[in-house]
Amino acid sequence: MLVPLERKVLNENDRIAATLRQRFQRNGTFCLNLISSPGSGKTALLERTLAGFDAARRVAVLTGDIQTDNDARRLARYGFPVRQISTGGACHLDARMVERHLTDWPVDELEILFLENVGNLVCPTSYDLGEEARAVLLSVTEGEDKPLKYPATFHHADLMVLNKIDLLPYVPFSMELARENARRVQPEIEILEVSCTSGEGLERWNDWIERHL
Amino acid sequence: MSIAASVLDAVRAEAALQGGGRVTRAGLRIGELSGVAVESLRFCLEVLVADTELAALGFEIEFAPWTRRCRGCAAVFRVTDARPACTACGSGDTEAAGGDQMELSFLELEEP
Repeated sequence: MLVPLERKVLNENDRIAATLRQRFQRNGTFCLNLISSPGSGKTALLERTLAGFDAARRVAVLTGDIQTDNDARRLARYGFPVRQISTGGACHLDARMVERHLTDWPVDELEILFLENVGNLVCPTSYDLGEEARAVLLSVTEGEDKPLKYPATFHHADLMVLNKIDLLPYVPFSMELARENARRVQPEIEILEVSCTSGEGLERWNDWIERHL
Repeated sequence: MSIAASVLDAVRAEAALQGGGRVTRAGLRIGELSGVAVESLRFCLEVLVADTELAALGFEIEFAPWTRRCRGCAAVFRVTDARPACTACGSGDTEAAGGDQMELSFLELEEP
């Protein structure tokens, strides 16, 4: 007996993600999923972002890593609630991990929830976390061709953040080519250029976030 | 590996819905933009089914290409070399049409 189907392989993940998304929307929480290779600056960008927020802002971070709570400790210094998700080997966050780490947290009162994914440009792509927007970071010490090498990740992103632009004088990185490659894979992608070291471009990043609130 | 585990969860759940007969073949449709490497998936599936009731299960994996649809002439075309412009009329005004599928497309079961 042959049974034709159209069942999504990750339908259980998608179901939980849809529940999370409804919850975020109901409470007016802007949830952002941050994806990049290891070392592109996700944690640094969040550090600069949290450092710039007024203490009264209702902002929280879930940060994923395979091992250690180093990132959570880095981020906790800014006074906002931060939780580490140690995936224990998994190379991505999934919706169930997010759901589980939101229990007994004042999540329904949040304006912004940042989800810092595990550093990996492949696996996080497949997992909807219930986010409203997805940002992928690419630093200028990497190759401009990453959007072409990892099209799935860039195709599913709303925003590309080009980070470490303070290093441009020292590395053979073409901003033009990086932008062009990203737009080939995702013609509608928004692009921002920042340096978490010098602070250049962070105002536009903050504006981008505020626009989504 | 976690995607392969989700595939087997999906196979078991659908088999139960279809009356619980032994599953002999399963079809998967994996898109070019799904982020899944078909060969790695095949390997992980083999590892996970070993010594289970699904050990004899054969997977047929269908590749779904990355496609876009032209907003001008409505042609659906395959994207090659990450070029988003319409291959029929040349327009750059196109939208995503496919390639991110990750689906169980059929099951073949013995009568329960």
